[in-house]
Amino acid sequence: MFDELERAIEPGLELGASYVELRGETGFIEYIQMDDGRITALTQRLERGVAVRALVDGAWGFVSTGDLARLEDAVRDACRMARAAAPTRKEPIELAETKTREDRVKSAARRDPRHVEIEEKVAYLKELTRVIRDHDPRIATVTAKLRTASGTKYLVTSEGARIEMPINLVWVYPWVTGKEGTRLSAARNEEASTHQGWEYLEKTATPEAVGIPAARRVVLQLEGVPAKAGTFPCVLGPRVIGVLAHEALGHLAEADLTVNSAFNGKLGQVVAAEGVNMTDDGTDPGNVGTSKYDDEGTPTSRVEIIKDSVLTELMTNREYAAKMGLRPTGNARAESYLYPPIIRMRNTFFERGDHSFDEIFEGIEFGYYCVDFRGGQAQMNASFQVGIQEVFEIVNGELGRPVTDLSISGIATDALFKIEAVSDEDFPWELGRCGKGQEAFVSSGGPSIRFAKGGIMFGGQT
Amino acid sequence: MEDEKQLLELCKFAVSQAHEYGATKAETQAQFSSELEGSVELGQISSVNRQTGTGIAIRVFVGKQMGSAFTNIPTQDGIRDAVRLAVSAAKVSTEDPDFVDLPLPSSSYPSVDGLWSDSAAGVDPGEVVGQIVQLVKEATQSEAGLVPAMSGAGAVEYHTAYANSNGVDHWERGTVGYIYLGAVAPSGEGMTPIVLSFDVKRGVDYDISSVVQEVADTLRLCKVSASGESGKFPVMMHAMAYGQIMQHTLLESIRGDSVVRGKSRIGDKLGETIAAENLTISDDGTYPGGMNTRVADDEGVPRRRTTIIDHGVLRSFIWDTYWANKAGVASTGNARRQLRRGLVEVATTNVVVEPGRRNAEDILSEIKHGFFVQNVQGAHSSNPQSGDFSIVGNPAILVRDGEMVGQVHGLMLTGNVFDLLKHVGEVASEPRFLEGAIAPDILFTEVNVVCRQ
Repeated sequence: MFDELERAIEPGLELGASYVELRGETGFIEYIQMDDGRITALTQRLERGVAVRALVDGAWGFVSTGDLARLEDAVRDACRMARAAAPTRKEPIELAETKTREDRVKSAARRDPRHVEIEEKVAYLKELTRVIRDHDPRIATVTAKLRTASGTKYLVTSEGARIEMPINLVWVYPWVTGKEGTRLSAARNEEASTHQGWEYLEKTATPEAVGIPAARRVVLQLEGVPAKAGTFPCVLGPRVIGVLAHEALGHLAEADLTVNSAFNGKLGQVVAAEGVNMTDDGTDPGNVGTSKYDDEGTPTSRVEIIKDSVLTELMTNREYAAKMGLRPTGNARAESYLYPPIIRMRNTFFERGDHSFDEIFEGIEFGYYCVDFRGGQAQMNASFQVGIQEVFEIVNGELGRPVTDLSISGIATDALFKIEAVSDEDFPWELGRCGKGQEAFVSSGGPSIRFAKGGIMFGGQT
Repeated sequence: MEDEKQLLELCKFAVSQAHEYGATKAETQAQFSSELEGSVELGQISSVNRQTGTGIAIRVFVGKQMGSAFTNIPTQDGIRDAVRLAVSAAKVSTEDPDFVDLPLPSSSYPSVDGLWSDSAAGVDPGEVVGQIVQLVKEATQSEAGLVPAMSGAGAVEYHTAYANSNGVDHWERGTVGYIYLGAVAPSGEGMTPIVLSFDVKRGVDYDISSVVQEVADTLRLCKVSASGESGKFPVMMHAMAYGQIMQHTLLESIRGDSVVRGKSRIGDKLGETIAAENLTISDDGTYPGGMNTRVADDEGVPRRRTTIIDHGVLRSFIWDTYWANKAGVASTGNARRQLRRGLVEVATTNVVVEPGRRNAEDILSEIKHGFFVQNVQGAHSSNPQSGDFSIVGNPAILVRDGEMVGQVHGLMLTGNVFDLLKHVGEVASEPRFLEGAIAPDILFTEVNVVCRQ
């Protein structure tokens, strides 16, 4: 595909583009859904397409096409789009310098899901359904979803970049409901790898490893007591503190959002309590947000967003790096050839602290320990909300009764100063998807962190 | 492939190929779409984008075993490859004893006008840019400090066709134009939330002034900080706010599949009162001007109007063909196909809330102490089975003695949607046209509110 893409660069330059970028993609994608043991979707698809971006007179034009025979027309169309917007700009868009690279990244997958028989995939979902159903008689329904992808993406730019990278995905997601009398509950789980092949589901995300946590959460909700409303001291476990890192802080540190957010103008300032460090690392080996290059061809990196309580770095693409005088961090990501790359997180986490896990519960007379979440959303004024699907009371420093589902919220820029203790534990990564207009596979995490009263609000009963 | 009749021929070809490869039943939906969009960053047009493509979803049955495939290559060769994948998947799939049949031909389709606008279909990049420039200009002049943070405009044209083994064949086309403004402004608390407003219709004759005015008026209030207290209070909700709560709770519960699978809390409540008497909600796939209005659903079944709640009484659920067959009822034309995933689901079309008699300002003016919530955060984390929600109102405005005072930061709304439905105090008279709903603002008389102390 490289040759087809390279041939289409020249017409863009002839039309006055200062930069032309083509991202080609070929892939085999599968989606299987099983509802209560019945297959409701078993879909295979062959996908190929190209995304064209042209920078003309300081504005972008973008065209996505599945018609590879008319790539030069697509490039001309992208230039026409850019030219329409260019006269309206007060200052032209510029791109930060990066070293031009030619590279071919090989897939690390051992069992390409494309070559795994459908029967084996169906058997996996059947077993996942069985494991969940057998966990408790109160389990009412099980919807199990499986996605796999394998393919290749190609990046060619007018600056000479020529990069080939693999597309890998194995993803599993059970949605489970429970029923006891008239009481209904629901919970989910989600595991994914963007580096391993089918072996990830055979050895790591096995039906037991994926199914039991979801089933357990459903049962806990049926047995849970209602949450109180208001603000309480609390400990957020690794999966919840991870989503807080992502939703409440990570989005504010995406440079395209920072400029309109509560973090605007705060680079170099103390934004958190002592001992707080938060990082986005696109180089963490094997993690779902990890990639050697981003979708502009910039090598990914470790971005120290908060270092020793100070807002230190922002995540950028080449455009915002130039605009804000920052380094390109390799955070430009596109869901597929259907979308232009935008600034996205990769693997976002709080660094470990120096308190033992038991210490951070000490002295809490009444509070909550939040273990797992179901969705979250941030706003530009630093307001965040995270739905919680597994939570326990803390009474006199000890774990108490399970609590039925609720959500927590707060103002991130305030909450960061209410952090009292960061544990030193190793933590598991929470693997999921972020939706900023496009889907991106991301991970997040952190050690358990304790917040003083006033940091986190609990949306319970008034 | 911009000709829907050519798309229909491809669909019929796919069905015939499926039978040749061993399918006993087959259906195909093909859609060509072309979207032109301009987007704004930092108050300037950043990019103009065009996304064009054809997607073809093929679903086949071998006996009672189902398989499906998707291709974006709209040629006979591309379709043959996809049909082979679908049939081979069906042959190793599991048997579904509940599968009865694909839809049968319908005697008539509704007559729906206004789905197509030449202004949207032929829109030029320069025209879209011009609309956005006007939007940004009016917006920045409307309120001090206003920054258009996420704004843009665009137009989509789509051509769709469907055919199945039972002789159902159908094609239609339509357009959608949209303009949106999401803006922030500096405030005493640092920065306001993004305040969003938009206008969607079939053409590109957008009402820019109304969009700008709604954003500017709300931002002006957000610049003023107010404090609230926790408790049960009257809350006036913008249709965008309660619409999101209902989308993730009530509207999940009226899906036929949720009812049959025992996932709906109101699955056994047909004919019972589940809401206040002044609430009437319909699903209307033929509503003039509705953004999800079509002649047929994604299985070629005619769209229709289905009354869900009539003056507080639950009257109907919504169905696609599979779940209707299983429940022994008729499809309500509510099948939605995710083309790339091959999944056919039960989904609402245009949710229509019947307007009341008085306008929103008159209703709000009678609130002694309460709140106006223009938008919410986190509705998607609600519990779709129990109906419990726990979300943030943002922006949430304190209302005192009938006047909007200022923004209450971090206000949470908690409760259960089925309790909320019983506390509809009054429905305003002016419907808002949203993406999947035509709905006025509603005053809920008693809502659990949690505020920062």
